[in-house]
Amino acid sequence: MAHRKKNRHVAIIGIGQTKFSSHREDVNQPEMIHEAVSLALKDAGLTMKDIECVIHGNMELFEMIHQPDLWHTLGTGAEGKDCIRITTGGTVGITLACASDNLVASGMYDIVMAIGFEKLQEGNTTGGITNMADPLWFRNLQTGALTGSKAYEFITEFGEDRSKRASLMYRVIMDKHAGLNPNAHRSFGLEFDQIDDLIKSSPKLIGDLKLIEMCSQSDGACCVIFACEKKAKELSKKPVWIRDHITVHREEIFQIFGYDDAYPVMQTHRFAAENLYKRNGITNPTDYFDVFEMYDPASWWAVDWLRDFFQLKGDEHIKLVEDKEIMIGGKIPVNPSGGVIASNPIGATALVRVAEAALQIRGDAGAHQIPKPVRHALASGFGGTLWTVLMMLEKELNW
Amino acid sequence: MAEYWGIKVEDIFNTMKDRFRPEGATGVTGSFGYDIAGEGKWKVSVYNGSLAAVEKIDNLTGCASVMSSDGETFVGVNAGKVDGTNAFMGGKIKVEGDMAAFGKTSKMFRKFVIKKKEMTVRDYLLDMFGTVESRFKADAAEGLDVIYGFDLGGDQGGKWSVFIKDKTCRVVTGIEGKPNAIIQLGDAKDYVDMILGKNDANSLLAAGRGAVIGDLNLAMKWGDYFDKYVDPMGGGVQEQELIVLKKTISVNQRFASGPIMGKFLNGLKEKKILANKCPKCGRMQLPPREMCAMCRVRVDDFVEVGPKGQVRYMEYVYYSSPDPLTGEARETPYGMVMVLLDGCKGNDVFMHLIRRDQIDQIKGGRNEKPGTRVRPVWNDKRVGSIFDINYFEIDE
Amino acid sequence: MGKKVAICAVAQIKHDPDYAALRFQNMLIDCFESIMKQTGVTFDMENGIRNIVTCSDDVFDARTISDNGVTDVVGAHFRGEEKMAQESINGLGYAMASILSGHDDVILYMGHCKESQSESRRMCMNLAYDPFYCRPLGMDHLNVDAMQARAYMEKAGVTDEQLAELVVRSRKNAKRDPFARENRTVDVKEVMGSPMLSDPIRELHYYPVTDWAYGMLLCCEERAKEFTKKPVWITGYGSCMDAYFLGDKDLVSNKTLASAAGRAYRMAGIKNARKEIHLFELSDHAAYQLPMWAEGVGVADEGTGGAWLKEGGPDKHNVNLAGGHLNGNPLLLGGAARAIECFLQLRGEAGERQAEGVKRALAQAAYGGAGQHQAVVIMES
Repeated sequence: MAHRKKNRHVAIIGIGQTKFSSHREDVNQPEMIHEAVSLALKDAGLTMKDIECVIHGNMELFEMIHQPDLWHTLGTGAEGKDCIRITTGGTVGITLACASDNLVASGMYDIVMAIGFEKLQEGNTTGGITNMADPLWFRNLQTGALTGSKAYEFITEFGEDRSKRASLMYRVIMDKHAGLNPNAHRSFGLEFDQIDDLIKSSPKLIGDLKLIEMCSQSDGACCVIFACEKKAKELSKKPVWIRDHITVHREEIFQIFGYDDAYPVMQTHRFAAENLYKRNGITNPTDYFDVFEMYDPASWWAVDWLRDFFQLKGDEHIKLVEDKEIMIGGKIPVNPSGGVIASNPIGATALVRVAEAALQIRGDAGAHQIPKPVRHALASGFGGTLWTVLMMLEKELNW
Repeated sequence: MAEYWGIKVEDIFNTMKDRFRPEGATGVTGSFGYDIAGEGKWKVSVYNGSLAAVEKIDNLTGCASVMSSDGETFVGVNAGKVDGTNAFMGGKIKVEGDMAAFGKTSKMFRKFVIKKKEMTVRDYLLDMFGTVESRFKADAAEGLDVIYGFDLGGDQGGKWSVFIKDKTCRVVTGIEGKPNAIIQLGDAKDYVDMILGKNDANSLLAAGRGAVIGDLNLAMKWGDYFDKYVDPMGGGVQEQELIVLKKTISVNQRFASGPIMGKFLNGLKEKKILANKCPKCGRMQLPPREMCAMCRVRVDDFVEVGPKGQVRYMEYVYYSSPDPLTGEARETPYGMVMVLLDGCKGNDVFMHLIRRDQIDQIKGGRNEKPGTRVRPVWNDKRVGSIFDINYFEIDE
Repeated sequence: MGKKVAICAVAQIKHDPDYAALRFQNMLIDCFESIMKQTGVTFDMENGIRNIVTCSDDVFDARTISDNGVTDVVGAHFRGEEKMAQESINGLGYAMASILSGHDDVILYMGHCKESQSESRRMCMNLAYDPFYCRPLGMDHLNVDAMQARAYMEKAGVTDEQLAELVVRSRKNAKRDPFARENRTVDVKEVMGSPMLSDPIRELHYYPVTDWAYGMLLCCEERAKEFTKKPVWITGYGSCMDAYFLGDKDLVSNKTLASAAGRAYRMAGIKNARKEIHLFELSDHAAYQLPMWAEGVGVADEGTGGAWLKEGGPDKHNVNLAGGHLNGNPLLLGGAARAIECFLQLRGEAGERQAEGVKRALAQAAYGGAGQHQAVVIMES
């Protein structure tokens, strides 16, 4: 039996995000979570009484809180409710969305609230990521989430000049988007004419990956409320429907690219997109989707991944960037929010992708709303050893 | 000399002696150069943890680092008006020389505090209406289409109108359009005091010192649509100190290596590199894993490989991640190599470090083209760990 | 509702005080292979396992994203995987939702924990409390449980001797389970003489440090016959979170458990738990919890734990026939252990400890100090 029809439809009916920042000493963890929860409840016009189940996720070792949903009950409002905690690394935020979709679609709950958060300033993040590796071997070698391999591979395929400019072009576009998003953590006011200067001046982290091209470490929380079709239609003027989602992991060892064309390495992003589109009858994703909120931890990866997610060939993905087609107002806007490269509170990050995609469909994204009608949106999460999660969101219930 | 936020560039340097924090300069000896565009160059010298000299000087040779920026950015960062990291990443601050040395300067000085001057009622009114648009809570004003008028009397008073429509807000001077509510106060000082929380609207209205013409309810809802005004003089109640609890947490662990990883680690003791070979796809796993993730089968067969091989790719690391437990970072730059050991094929690479003084000579390989040949340098004291191999080096 | 999902197979390794020679990957691999062999399930994208639920814990594994370390040995390469970072019983509830939603039809559910790896389980548990108030006070699940134990024993008339009898019974029952942790047989006198860990909880009243791993295969109703002749059905699930600060709640109230159980009962269509459920697997991290949770799920009357023990309640109602959590399960995996015992009993495969006429069983698991989070699963043959 192939992928089955959903038992019942599920919609997003409430969204709350805190401002993302490197300085949230003014609140503790439950207080910061509470900010997002309050905003989401207000957005949905609900109170905690309406929520049946709370789903919580982040990475324990980043803040060194074991089973944090217990303490965070103070901020999540889960007391007296069903509460589960599901995690998957960097993808955790969007996993919370997938799990919420499953829980509501199952008929077991009508209204579910998902909360992703991180207070990265309270822990040692690169250290936390290094802890992911096996303690007997790679923990002694790994360099946090940094790798120059994608830049190397990119440059090998497309030449140094074009590759470096494409990566920086993507970065400047994201910065321009972030400038329109009041929640964004980093917004430098970069201009396209700075590209050549930044290629030379931005400090190198590893290989050709430069500081400016890497995402930040942020504090922040995101809360999204999901409801069954009946409740969503009763409670929301602008429900955003979850159509489908797919999760694809990779093996433990972080070996994501090949050194020999005779031994190709299968890519999770391409595999996930292929399977998702196939079972939903999507033949041309760049035509179908009106916006894509992508988990873009670094600009090199981002440009490359467009090829996998959009099933593009040759250098089509670079052209999308060079022609600024991924800008707000372009053919297929990517990350009108400024993306992960602008704000990265890890446990919340991938849920923010879903939230921002939903805001675009609602037309409620404010200054970073894309100007054309948004009917179909795609959101992605990234984590682990190139794990990926994709979620399709729709304005209409007509698929 | 230009001023930014009322501060001159030289003010920053002239106050350095007063702002110096010996606790942030422990063990530091060296000079730090500053090149501020259009303003001049300064050299700050620290000797054995004390501030030795701050001099305006043209020659910055001998400085451990030289930081350059424009005056506005420099003053902004020192006065806490501009985010230093953002300015650096955005290219507004550049640093030549020793980055790490420059980093120390941020801990050596307290923030520059802007000297307080008296604010008049007029200053306050200009600041209050000047910040109205930035304090507007667009989401709270969904569907709202109104005009607020302000008619504030007295020598220093004035008139303003605030337009709210389509979730945007605009402030103009004078009473414009047809305000839904006009807030009238005989003395503008009463308005300033009300906003600063020194008196309240109800008592002013009750005392007949003010009136609302039009929609009183709307007038009272002002606070719903705008964030609270923050007194730049820091008047009123002192802000609560934000206490941050610093703690390093660790729980001792005893990691088992198991039969597969254990066999591999034991091999290293005898200068043998053992891969385990998938019975289905034949790939060599380094370090060995219990299963081949691709074929989902147990992998028990070991094959000795290497110890020499060719580099397929090297991560050239400029920024070293701190060790999560000790906080210590490896000296940079360093190279992490993916070595295709003799006897392995395709992508079955072995990850390790390369001799530091050779990182610039390493060439990666691709397809048929081989990379630099390397050999392991074994540790004399081998205990069954990753560092039984110190690193790889070029095999000539 | 009447909707249900099937558990087609379970696999486990023996509970052990210290698998010093194994990585957790080694522990899981046996369970993985056993499930594959029992069910013949594949990882085909159309008909096989597309999604895996795991249960493990970053703090116990001392690894950020602990599920990354198990990807290879649970078959998750190029398949989906989601980690239940909470009591494992909730993984069953979540797997149930994933299947009932229509998104998945087959779910592999695997979990592991090596409590022996860290120097101190109590240091890990202390990290579950806020860093400002409860942590510096030295709170961990054990001494928070102890406060509840004292209050509950007073309320329900449970004596130190009765707790000792529960420990003796647990050890005796565990002897009949080949997968249980091997513990010494003890007598009442020895238990009553064992040192206080946190008054009134004695050393022998508290579950010992344990390593364990398990696997299960779940699927939708229509496909169960492809994988097993004897499916066991999950027909109900409910969970409930209590307040965090001890001062914010009544320590002896079973409100949270009753609420979780109530939800599971409604889903499974159960009106009288005592009559309609034939076997109860309760999460007794400490001996006092067995009667307390028995009251919470309704197999004993509220506040009568002492009398219920005296009347032989645990044996009369088939409670913890394999020794329960008290004999030794790792923290967070107790719920999966409870469910596996229910599965074996419902299939009539519980060997020497097999109870008669078990058609419906309940597995309960508590999480956090003083049962802050409670969850219940109803299973039927």
